[in-house]
Amino acid sequence: MKISYNWLLNYIDTDLNPLEISQKLTLSGLEVEEIEIFGSDFENFVVGDVIHVMDHPFADKLKLCKVDIGNQEVQIVCGADNVETGQKVPVATIGATIPVPMKDGSRLKVKKVKIRGEISEGMICSESELGISDDHSGIMVLNQKFDPGTPLNKALNLRKDTIFEIGLTPNRPDASCHIGVARDLAAVLDIPYKNPYDKKLKSSDSLDHLVDIQISEENKCHRYVAKIVKNVSVSESPGWLKNRLRSIGLRPINNVVDATNFILHEIGQPLHAFDYHKLEGQKIEVKSFSESREFTTLDGVKRKVPAGTLFICDGSQPVAIAGVMGGLDSEVTVITNTILIESAYFDPSAIRKASKNLALQTDSSYRFERGIDPNLARKACERAAALIAELSGGSIVDGCTDVHPVKTDSITIPLRIQRLNQLLGTKLDVSYVVRVLNALEIETKTRGTDKLDCIIPTFRPDLTREVDLIEEVGRIYDYNNIPKPDTAPFITPAPISNWEKMHNRVQLIATRLMYKEITTNSLLSDKEEGYFSDEDTRIRTLNPVSQEATTLRTTLLGGFLKALSYNLNRNARQLRFFEIGHVYKRSDKGTWIDEIEEHSKLLLGLCGFKYTDNWANEAAFFSVFDLKSDLESLFRQLGIFQYLRTESSSQNELSYFLNNDQVAKLIRIPDHLTDVFELNYPAFAAEIDLTVIYQNGFADIDQTFEQISKYPPFEYDAAYTVNAQVSAGELTDRIYRTAGDKLVNLEVFDVYESENLGKDKKSIAFRFTFLDRNKTLTINEVEPIVQKITRALESELGANLRS
Amino acid sequence: MIDQIKDLKKEIESTEITDEDSLETFRLTYLSRKGKVQSMFGQMGKVPKENRAVVGKAMNEVKQLAESRFQDAKDTLNRREDQIFSATDDITLPVAPAYTGSLHPLTKTLNEMKQIFFRLGFDVADGPEIEDDFHNFTALNFPPDHPARDMQDTFFIYKSDDDSSEDLVMRTHTSPVQIRLMKDTPPPIRSVIPGRVFRNEAVTAKSYFQFNQMEGLFVDKKVTMGELIETLVMFAKMMYGTDVKYRVRPSFFPFTEPSIEMDVWWGSEFDGQWLEILGAGMVDPNVFESVGLDPEQYTGYAFGMGVDRIAMLRYGIDDIRTLYENDIRFLNQFSA
Repeated sequence: MKISYNWLLNYIDTDLNPLEISQKLTLSGLEVEEIEIFGSDFENFVVGDVIHVMDHPFADKLKLCKVDIGNQEVQIVCGADNVETGQKVPVATIGATIPVPMKDGSRLKVKKVKIRGEISEGMICSESELGISDDHSGIMVLNQKFDPGTPLNKALNLRKDTIFEIGLTPNRPDASCHIGVARDLAAVLDIPYKNPYDKKLKSSDSLDHLVDIQISEENKCHRYVAKIVKNVSVSESPGWLKNRLRSIGLRPINNVVDATNFILHEIGQPLHAFDYHKLEGQKIEVKSFSESREFTTLDGVKRKVPAGTLFICDGSQPVAIAGVMGGLDSEVTVITNTILIESAYFDPSAIRKASKNLALQTDSSYRFERGIDPNLARKACERAAALIAELSGGSIVDGCTDVHPVKTDSITIPLRIQRLNQLLGTKLDVSYVVRVLNALEIETKTRGTDKLDCIIPTFRPDLTREVDLIEEVGRIYDYNNIPKPDTAPFITPAPISNWEKMHNRVQLIATRLMYKEITTNSLLSDKEEGYFSDEDTRIRTLNPVSQEATTLRTTLLGGFLKALSYNLNRNARQLRFFEIGHVYKRSDKGTWIDEIEEHSKLLLGLCGFKYTDNWANEAAFFSVFDLKSDLESLFRQLGIFQYLRTESSSQNELSYFLNNDQVAKLIRIPDHLTDVFELNYPAFAAEIDLTVIYQNGFADIDQTFEQISKYPPFEYDAAYTVNAQVSAGELTDRIYRTAGDKLVNLEVFDVYESENLGKDKKSIAFRFTFLDRNKTLTINEVEPIVQKITRALESELGANLRS
Repeated sequence: MIDQIKDLKKEIESTEITDEDSLETFRLTYLSRKGKVQSMFGQMGKVPKENRAVVGKAMNEVKQLAESRFQDAKDTLNRREDQIFSATDDITLPVAPAYTGSLHPLTKTLNEMKQIFFRLGFDVADGPEIEDDFHNFTALNFPPDHPARDMQDTFFIYKSDDDSSEDLVMRTHTSPVQIRLMKDTPPPIRSVIPGRVFRNEAVTAKSYFQFNQMEGLFVDKKVTMGELIETLVMFAKMMYGTDVKYRVRPSFFPFTEPSIEMDVWWGSEFDGQWLEILGAGMVDPNVFESVGLDPEQYTGYAFGMGVDRIAMLRYGIDDIRTLYENDIRFLNQFSA
């Protein structure tokens, strides 16, 4: 919303400059987002009297003009056809800067120059060069009454203006106009302001004999006021009005439309002017239709208007979309003789819906949908009629029709000063609070020492509760003035949750294992997510922003593979990534929301070269065992490794279980996915379900020190031959289960396949580490344990000890 | 006698030891059984009894000098000893840098913010990213026709035709966790809530359909706006330096009343600008009522800030997409 500094000065009297005003506005709740300069003070521009015009001796299209600029006569070369002897014209004298920038953005500075051999000491300007209209058809011709040498800003009554772009919060419909902004400023500055609308209106006769007004939907149109002005002559508006509108970015149209726009931006009441004679049957009905229909708005666009949208109709057809935009057919034109001014109150949500459905926001709909003052309609209509009559030479028809089926009365809200000070942390006294509220036109009645009854004006629909009034006082007082509290309260902090502790520990471990954190999208394309999940578990958004982001991730894998692909395409050769994030799927076990499982997961992933080819190392790719080693380190550091059980359903996957819940999966990215994601190196990922760890009570670990054994460990090597189908996991599982607590470590130091072992056989060589915390172990104690292991492996897995 | 000892001392001091041979000569000359030091001690018998203490001390000093000269020279020579180096032992050979783990700048920023609020006595809470209408909107005092409830602004997972209370959305802010906290925990509550949030926005340099927020909530008896502002000022000073220039100004949010925003001055004194860093306010009485707390008995404040925005300011990142691209050349610029 644009607010003009000069325009504000119509209502308040202040010495503060535009920058100071903008700071006051921002600090009291009307945030000035941008400041721009409009127009010019026309320094070194004067009124010139054209004394003599002759053709330029060396150029067909140019003329030589002798111009009296007050203190001297100068020669000016001019290219306009319309320059004539005897005209009063605007002259940019030497040293003037043309206010409108040239095509390259720079501004032309007027100098004494020779044009085709003739001296030119200035420039006679067109309206477009002065920036006061788009008219560049010829030079501007001024009124004869001005003496040559009169400063141009005086003659045109124009000066530089500052325009504030205000980001209006939705709770402040009252401030969507210059008077509303002036009211806030006056309250902040503690000065009076002039409101041209505060005159009491006399009751008046209706215009029923001239127009029949019906409101069919009272819940959407609470009030409809109409006035008629006849014998108008629709023409261009005077300069001051055009300038006002132009300064806030509006294009002047004609004196009738401009008057209504002026009032909209002055007091915030949207108005509409109809050509009275184009209203069929001199009838107005406010109603909606049960079917959608086509309607051409005055911007010339044919629109499909949905059923239920409120229209203003005449005797036969719609003439305006209520509160949004008028129709082309009933528009005021140069031949209009009599106009009907509409000043209404439409329900905010009805207009919001219409504006949204039509994807059409206008100055009018912007205000109706925020909620205008329901009691302003008549005052604004009277002022519009007076202004239009004045500007167009028309005469106001006596009387005013005011259909007002739904009345809005002001409400009264009690305010406790003690509560106000308690909530704000201030020590404001009653008189200050009363001063502020009254300045905002909230009447107050004192009740006891601590209470005020506050009568809320109807232009403040946002004030409905005590706390809303506290905010009003606070914002005018300026929150920056609230005294710093003597002590900031510091309650006993709650302990950091186990969840948070685990989260931090996981972050730390992952970085220590030399993984780099990535953040990938929670929403992927359906195709990408489809590689990892079943249709019936997938969750989609109903309104995706693009086809790339339709489906919620069920796993962090997709984002990881995309990140790999992105980097490999940019010649990365070594990638170690981790991510912590939420994944979502449909499930009977809802986490927070019924039937939606939302877990927090950690992904660790590797891709590419473990060593690139260099003088120190031979090139080598990462293997799944590099990742497995990191994964199991992570489990150890989280203190859950000894509780895990593994299962492998295929060569590409190893699942880890905590109690009976799957807690992690180690994955060799299969070929079809490396193809899809265009990975030219092998890739591996492990996904760990942090929610499952938490739910199983392992989020926090007690780290207690265990005495280091005084006795040395005993190492024993043994190799077994088994069928190739028997997995190493099955062997180690049996070994741990059989060995008892003296076996403290188990390593595989050799895996070997050979014809010599027999068909489909392999050999796996283990190094057992045994330890007794109470004595030094000897071969006599260790051998029986190994024999027991050997027997178990023989009988359960068909293994043979190799000697 | 003392003169002889002094001469020997000078001799030992001035003897040059430059290589293995001269070292051996030195040892034989002074420190061997037949060396000069030993033979000096042999003359002790000739020294009058009353002088023996003084002379003995001087002799011992000479002996220590000889021994330390020998040892020093030996160490120096050992160090100088040429080892056999191969071409790949060349310590000046360039190497590839070791791979290092690192945190994403969003996490680094968030961790920094969390640490500040830990010091201010806040704990951390979390909640789901898929939210129901009650927690995301209704309980937070959003009117039924608020634009945020629009498909244009919010990702819907489920939208009922007639009963919006059944709607599911991707949460549009971290504020719904306020509601969960207040429903689950009796006051006082003093928590921050970080997390990912979603808006139905096209991906551009300035906007992304997901980003991160950190919410804060303090509910107790007699909490004031003054305390809210003081807390935010303490945050700003710890985050941006104690000389940070800041201001608060009125704003509007459905779930706080009064509402404010805080700006910090960014850039030089003359060529900077105010940048909004957070929104805040006193918990709206309607919010208390929606979770069954009496607004006459309890007051509280809440604040929320964009982690992405703060990270971008902090590291000078001008395109939000950079944060979600995971370019290794970007990630490499941030340490753990």
